[in-house]
Amino acid sequence: MTTAPQSSTGPRLVLGIDLGTTNSLAAVRAGKGARVLRDRDGEPLTPSVVCLHPDGRTIVGRDAKSLRLDFPERTVFSIKRLIGRSAAEVQQEATRLPYRVVAGDRGLPRVQIGDQQWTPESISALILQQVKATAEQALGQVVREAVVTVPAWFDDAQRQATKDAAQLAGLECLRILNEPTAAALAYGIDGSKDGTALVYDLGGGTFDVSILRIDDGVFRVLSTAGDTHLGGDDFDELLCQRILAQLPPTSDPYVLQAVRAAAEGLKIRLSDAERAELELDLGARGAVKLAVTRAEFEAAIAPLVQRTLDCVTRAVKDAGLQLHELDDVVLVGGSTRVPLVRDRLQALTGKTPHTGVDPDLAVALGAAIQADVLAGNDRSLLLLDVIPLSLGLETLGGAVQKLILRNSTIPTSVTEEFSTGVDNQTAVDLTIYQGERELSHDCRLLGRFQLRGLPALPAGLPRIAVTFLVDADGVLRVTAREQRTGAQASIQIVPTFGLTRDEVRKMMLDSIEHAQQDYVAREAIDLRNKAEAMVRGTQKALQMADLPPDQTYAVQKATKALQKLLAANADAAALKAGCDELTKLTATIADDVISSAVTKALKADETR
Amino acid sequence: MIHVPAPDPFTVFGVPRTLDLDARELERRYLRLSRECHPDHLRTQDANDCLAVLQRAAEVNDAWKTLRDPWTRAKALLEAESPGVLDANKKLDPAFLADALELAEEVAFVRPEQVGALRARLQQALDADFAALRADVARSDLPAAARRVHGAHYHKKALADLEHKA
Repeated sequence: MTTAPQSSTGPRLVLGIDLGTTNSLAAVRAGKGARVLRDRDGEPLTPSVVCLHPDGRTIVGRDAKSLRLDFPERTVFSIKRLIGRSAAEVQQEATRLPYRVVAGDRGLPRVQIGDQQWTPESISALILQQVKATAEQALGQVVREAVVTVPAWFDDAQRQATKDAAQLAGLECLRILNEPTAAALAYGIDGSKDGTALVYDLGGGTFDVSILRIDDGVFRVLSTAGDTHLGGDDFDELLCQRILAQLPPTSDPYVLQAVRAAAEGLKIRLSDAERAELELDLGARGAVKLAVTRAEFEAAIAPLVQRTLDCVTRAVKDAGLQLHELDDVVLVGGSTRVPLVRDRLQALTGKTPHTGVDPDLAVALGAAIQADVLAGNDRSLLLLDVIPLSLGLETLGGAVQKLILRNSTIPTSVTEEFSTGVDNQTAVDLTIYQGERELSHDCRLLGRFQLRGLPALPAGLPRIAVTFLVDADGVLRVTAREQRTGAQASIQIVPTFGLTRDEVRKMMLDSIEHAQQDYVAREAIDLRNKAEAMVRGTQKALQMADLPPDQTYAVQKATKALQKLLAANADAAALKAGCDELTKLTATIADDVISSAVTKALKADETR
Repeated sequence: MIHVPAPDPFTVFGVPRTLDLDARELERRYLRLSRECHPDHLRTQDANDCLAVLQRAAEVNDAWKTLRDPWTRAKALLEAESPGVLDANKKLDPAFLADALELAEEVAFVRPEQVGALRARLQQALDADFAALRADVARSDLPAAARRVHGAHYHKKALADLEHKA
């Protein structure tokens, strides 16, 4: 595939690759900084476009992009929006694309070109192959390893799919790196700029914001937030709608493609000019003539920009900082060239955004720095990243107990102790969820872990310590051990599909919108569990304790009443009153026998 | 096989078990330990080594998380000095609880113009809690210190609720 010589004996060479929605590129470490690898024409960017030409050729990059209008249904772009997701999830997205997306095996999306079907991974691999070839040509040597960047909010499935694409392209992916983190590395390459930086990354299709602390070469991500469906393409879409309004209704891919290109051109011109005009002649398909002022454009995109600012505010809060404590604001992604974006961000933070590094190149440059660290060539830099979404465990009644909070520095681990609920139980099922909501059905199922081979003991007696470890790639590993016998419980993982972008965004938004509602629902479940545990605990305690008959009777009566409330599915207020009544009664009983037994029972239940 | 519990965060960081640690010095230590322990700098092919490296790096990150906040640091201190002391001292003084509930009530019905004053009062209450905790620890009354930690939780929750409303 390449005529480049075999790798020389220099230091291990690992590429940093920015696999973008719109453009992709590679960079390598060079001296204290990094340099972008350009093609023969001196161009650093490879458009993330693949044309599967009717004559059988596969054309990638700039040449493919120029064929968009000739073969709209055979020219694939924005594949990053589909990777690692299911066909059902991208259905909405696909209606905006001129090429056909169909459901393939296991409900995964396939790009239908003629009678051939392509996976998003294989399309991405073609782009990566082109980037790799460009890099090898520029370097004059073969490269086999890379660090590939993804939006911070990419989930497991999307990260895995990106890794797969790299492998298909003949590259071993040493690390999947978060784009805003990579950009921060590029910005602070010499490590001399200590301080707190906000990285605002608005690309074609996604928005990420990260807050980093830089101390003497250690880059620490303090928080990250984002919106997986917000980018420059959405700005284009608003302009598209204005143009399409002047044309007869159509779903002609040629028209849609031409309008999209015209909209993008308008947007770019409006970054410099106060007013831009468009004349689009589509022959028999119609013609458009229109003028857009910057003020009109800004009014249209203002709500989208505001959404990014809300993310910024949240990220700053999650980092435990105030806006005025930020030292630098770094812009990444081509869409940050839109003046309104810069103005609003500057107004919010009070800082002039840093533009020292080309926003189109920063991510690849940063990836190259991290690639060199992983190659073992540079130990002066260290990157400490975070997990973007909380991991939790389903407890009784469908509530989620958070194990690892979002924005925890990785690697991180938590050890929790569990017990059994039934005598001689030898297996316990743990269900892991990813997301910020309180109830499991609002979070995404990450996997099931089954602890097997527990010693047969009375209920509540086994003590199983389960360790949840999130590694440096953000992947969860689980180990378990029974504390009394020391027996290693075996764990079986039942994997499920990763979270979808829509779901993550929706989950985040929902967790804010529904916080109150969630809280009430969660409280009701907790209360019910507590009441049930109190009934069980009190009954057990009554058998053990030697109480005067009148006290026994009173406690029994209150217990029965609570049982009745539970059976009747009474509301939270009634249950609470019942619990309080029983608590009051057991608390007044002289010896602490009952209350301590109840407390014990409650504790066992909490950890179950 | 005996389960080895995770070392306490003070041991992980190699700092004395005390309530008052210099924040800047603690952070410097965290950065140094991270450089020494992070898997990015200790890449190895051996799966077991890999896991050990990861565990150690996780311990460092988790210890930092615990030590950087004075209240979680206090909890870790009490648990390290006297395991189980936090669980065994959950019963709080009824008068304290009544006060705390009253504060929670105030938060629930706070008017916008009162937020500032209420925030200041809650912050004061928390400061007082910590001063008292420090005194408890100084005279080695760990059960009292444990109750203080539990009590402060009510003030912290009220403050969080207030910020959530504001």
